[in-house]
Amino acid sequence: MASEEQKLLVSMIEQFAKEELENVAQKIEKEGISKDIRKRLAELGLLAATLPQSENGAGIDRSSFSLVLMTIAKYSASVAYFIYLQNTLVNEILFKAQKRKEEIAKIASGESTGTLVHDINFNFPLEIYIKGHELYGANNFVILPDADFHLVLARSEKTSYLVMANPVKIEKKKPLGFRAISFGFASYKQTIEEDRIILKDADNLLKSHIFDTSDQIAAIAIGMSESALEKAIEYSKERKAFESYLYEFQPISAVLSDMKGRIEEMKKALMLSEDTKDRILLKLNALELARSASRLALQIYGGYGYLEDLGIERYYRDSMYLTMLSSNYIKDIEIISKNIISPDAFKI
Amino acid sequence: MSFELPQEVEETRKRARNFALREFTKELIEHFDETEEYPNEIRKKVFDAGFITIENPWNMLVTMEEFCRVDPGIGLSTLASVFGSEILLLYGTDEQKEKYLYPTLKGEKISAVAVTEPGAGSDVAGISSRIEKSEKGWILNGHKMFITNGTVADHYYLLARSAPPPSKEKRHHGLTLAIVERKWNGVNPVKLKGKLGMRATDTAEITFENVLVPNENIVGEKGKGFYIIMTFFNISRVYVAAQSVGTAQGILDLLLEYLAEKPASFREMEYVQFALAEISTLIEAARNITYKAAAKVFSFNPDPALTSMAKYYAAEVANQVANIAFKIVGMEASGSKLEKLYRDAKITEIWEGTSEIEKLVISRMILKKIQEVK
Ligand SMILES: Cc1cc2nc3c(=O)[nH]c(=O)nc-3n(C[C@H](O)[C@H](O)[C@H](O)COP(=O)(O)OP(=O)(O)OC[C@H]3O[C@@H](n4cnc5c(N)ncnc54)[C@H](O)[C@@H]3O)c2cc1C
Repeated sequence: MASEEQKLLVSMIEQFAKEELENVAQKIEKEGISKDIRKRLAELGLLAATLPQSENGAGIDRSSFSLVLMTIAKYSASVAYFIYLQNTLVNEILFKAQKRKEEIAKIASGESTGTLVHDINFNFPLEIYIKGHELYGANNFVILPDADFHLVLARSEKTSYLVMANPVKIEKKKPLGFRAISFGFASYKQTIEEDRIILKDADNLLKSHIFDTSDQIAAIAIGMSESALEKAIEYSKERKAFESYLYEFQPISAVLSDMKGRIEEMKKALMLSEDTKDRILLKLNALELARSASRLALQIYGGYGYLEDLGIERYYRDSMYLTMLSSNYIKDIEIISKNIISPDAFKI
Repeated sequence: MSFELPQEVEETRKRARNFALREFTKELIEHFDETEEYPNEIRKKVFDAGFITIENPWNMLVTMEEFCRVDPGIGLSTLASVFGSEILLLYGTDEQKEKYLYPTLKGEKISAVAVTEPGAGSDVAGISSRIEKSEKGWILNGHKMFITNGTVADHYYLLARSAPPPSKEKRHHGLTLAIVERKWNGVNPVKLKGKLGMRATDTAEITFENVLVPNENIVGEKGKGFYIIMTFFNISRVYVAAQSVGTAQGILDLLLEYLAEKPASFREMEYVQFALAEISTLIEAARNITYKAAAKVFSFNPDPALTSMAKYYAAEVANQVANIAFKIVGMEASGSKLEKLYRDAKITEIWEGTSEIEKLVISRMILKKIQEVK
């Protein structure tokens, strides 16, 4: 259902990912996303993909961007998430707020990196506050804590702000997945000048932005699923047990085919999501799909899947990690229930 | 009919739990997970505390459960230092027991079971390592893969082909089991690093090049190795089931700890309550089927279908429970033990027979009943 223009874009991205990410995907996981890769992503316009061209963006429409993320995720889910983080969680927010255009330009060019620190859709309170112009507090669950700047959701007595800050201390932890992107603790203590305040009443604005871009998470999850399945099918054609290829065994063929069907359906749904509720639902289903596909791939690879060499166990970690980063099942399902059943739904 | 375990076993369970809570500290769990080193010092303490005993296998079973509840990596690694002992118990000569089994059970030696090869895992009869009669004994050539304790074991219980299969249908004939020492000439184990989980266990790829195996190291009848290994798997699989039950219980423990920290309103949500109910039911069912299978095995009346059901079901439960728990805890699981148990749980669906192979064993046994129906 993709248009000709979209197909062209996808084939260009696919070529880039095949040539420049596929063979180094494992290295990227170990060493992180290098400045060179960032520069290449910038050249392709991906770090400000959905911003207008007049604002250093690539002017890519929403569904095309989903296709881009899906394609990149097939080769490196970490890189796809990094793009989502830079483009959607940092640059789009700065652009919507019409603030700090110079930072947008720097991220778009791959020169610097940003991150978003928030507790939207998580069970924990953020514990970062702003009093007057003083920002203070800390959070344990920061993605890319070593980014050049942080957009931090901070709460005051009456409202909440999104401010641009730099942590006074960070501690990195080894994350379950997306090991190319750092993760850990960050604490803040800083006076925030007026021009560093990006949004006021930031809670609501962030919430709607994050939920509304749930389809992009779905796109990454679908890309990962597709890649895990392709690898599993490939392996089932190479590996023999009991003198037969794995794909010749009925249960193996059946689960592979069933998974293929589910992925194709999900790809169609990705292009059709119309509103926030659709997108959240799509995200939940796509994340579930990614977890199932990765578990299936690992199982089909048997012992070989359990070792990092072949890159199969990575899907298993990444799919759960993506779920943790981007979905709180209880909160997601609450929104959907209230939307599709009744505002009183999911109360007790 | 009583569902209670004897007092002595319950006491062992309590001791095992306390031992694991005391000795498997957060720092050590993280250390072995990070470095992938073998926890040899803890293994020694496990022996000193008397947890490894064959007198009453129920004691080992509940110890496996309680150890894995705290940390599956260290727990399994220490208890599996006697991996394969049942082979010698059932089939070994007095000399073999004297030389290999008893020192292992005293903690002086470590054993391993070497069946899987690069080209054959599930298909045990498909292995291609060769052991051939020579003047001085037997000559072994081959390649083993994913062998637990591979670089730390003193000896391996190894399966190799000693004669070509008589026919396509009888591929499992002509396999022989031998005891092979790690330090012998021609044995070359290489540690495999980078596992998803169970990183405190030692895993190796081992090549054997013209290794001379003395006659007295052949276990049981030559050519009957397949049956010996299958008999062993029928025993060892109940321990893997116990590993799964322990892992699942550990996940429930973590979930309860998490909920205790949350405001009461969180626990009052029916969604959360249902998840807890589902997890607890799954674990209870997995534990019961494991104990039932174990009761048959330990009373020398094994039921291979039941053992495979226990292994398959409990493994499925461990993984399912991890998924349900993540739905509740979400991002806060990051960097936590729950994340580790999720990684550790997956192996239970792969080793000692994948879930698919367990299903084949189950259905083959059930299909035999067609004869009775007819
Ligand atoms: C950490 C670790 C430790 C291990 N420790 C040991 C050890 O100590 N000693 C030892 O000997 N081995 C050990 N193993 C090996 C383990 O037992 C094997 O990995 C397992 O038996 C599966 O074999 P495989 O990996 O070759 O997968 P394969 O046999 O290649 O199977 C691949 C997939 O095909 C499926 N499959 C195969 N046949 C069929 C069929 N007929 N119908 C349907 N599906 C089928 C399997 O279920 C699996 O999903 C270990 C493995 C790991 C990862």
